[in-house]
Amino acid sequence: MTDWLGLLAAPRTPRPELKGRVLARALAPRRRWPLAAAAVITLAVGGGAWWAYRTIGTLTTERDGLAARVHALEDTVSTFIHGPATRLIQIPVSTGGRVGAVTIFADSVRHRWLVRCDGLAPNARDQAYQLWFITDRGMATAAVMPMDQDKPMVMALEMPRGGEGGGDQRVLGAAMSIEPRAGSASPSGPMVFHRLL
Amino acid sequence: MTSPKRLSQEHQRSLERRLKAGDERALGELFDLVAPWILGLAFRILQDEDEAEEVVGDVFVQVWRHIDQHDGGRGPLVPWILSIARNRSLDALRRRRRWWRKSAHLEQAQEAMGEAIAPAAPHEAAVPGWPMHREVHAALAALSEEQRRVVVLSYFEGLSHREIAQRLGQPLGTVKTRLRMAHQKLTEGLRHLKDWVE
Repeated sequence: MTDWLGLLAAPRTPRPELKGRVLARALAPRRRWPLAAAAVITLAVGGGAWWAYRTIGTLTTERDGLAARVHALEDTVSTFIHGPATRLIQIPVSTGGRVGAVTIFADSVRHRWLVRCDGLAPNARDQAYQLWFITDRGMATAAVMPMDQDKPMVMALEMPRGGEGGGDQRVLGAAMSIEPRAGSASPSGPMVFHRLL
Repeated sequence: MTSPKRLSQEHQRSLERRLKAGDERALGELFDLVAPWILGLAFRILQDEDEAEEVVGDVFVQVWRHIDQHDGGRGPLVPWILSIARNRSLDALRRRRRWWRKSAHLEQAQEAMGEAIAPAAPHEAAVPGWPMHREVHAALAALSEEQRRVVVLSYFEGLSHREIAQRLGQPLGTVKTRLRMAHQKLTEGLRHLKDWVE
């Protein structure tokens, strides 16, 4: 009943124009932009959540794959470094006026090499370093290594086991030359090092 | 002078039905019936003509958009509208940076002129609802002066019990008791009121 107390105030005659103004305002179509904005925000948030879900799933898969590869590499490196049949050969090299080194962990039991290259000068755009096995049957390509950035490079290589005529090839040493970007069948460019083991 | 408007529940119910049906002319009729009281109430609280007119606009927007929320079975339409007007006015009052200055001004004005309980001038008798205005004033006049004071501070200034106690320098329990007794008397005195229409 106390809602009637509003009638305690003396009534005031509205100015003539107030009625038109008030009715126009009350009857004006309601602006729908807040609803539209809410819909856009909802879609954006939903889309963002879906994108995040998908991205997280993809990244998780990639992470798991990379973790597996890193684990395998750790095993490989550990086997190379700590294997009793592994020989360590470190070869100083000079490229583009810079002094670097090629380190070879040679595992004669598993017929694998782990090669680390440090301090090699980056190649010209049309060139690459090419690593060679020196065998009793001649030079056999081991790897083509385009070097575009000034950072160390590590790779695991399978040693050659058999030649075209059958029987084992015996690896006698290693060499590195600068070759065309696609690599060469046999050394043709400047020799970086040539080392019998 | 136009004769005072009489009460008619049927007209009120018809008006409400038309409002709920989206009849724009009904909104215009409602304005003619209650706008003077909404404006008067808002002005009484805000003491500012422009702000009071803004409240009138707010009230009619809310009534037009939310008329479905009014349950006719729980009470007449006009008190519902007046409660919206009061709440809007108090909201505006609270937003003011000069709240305390205005409040102090109001209090002084009330003390000097007894404005809060002064009935409308005779020339306002043509305004719809005028008879009820007189009846509400009569109900308020039946209260003791202390009860009237706490009712006015509570209703027109939106003060809490504690704020009223501080304003009047009275114990909180005394203020609560006066308000409770005043509400009981007003409820009894206004129980017979219905909405008005000519």
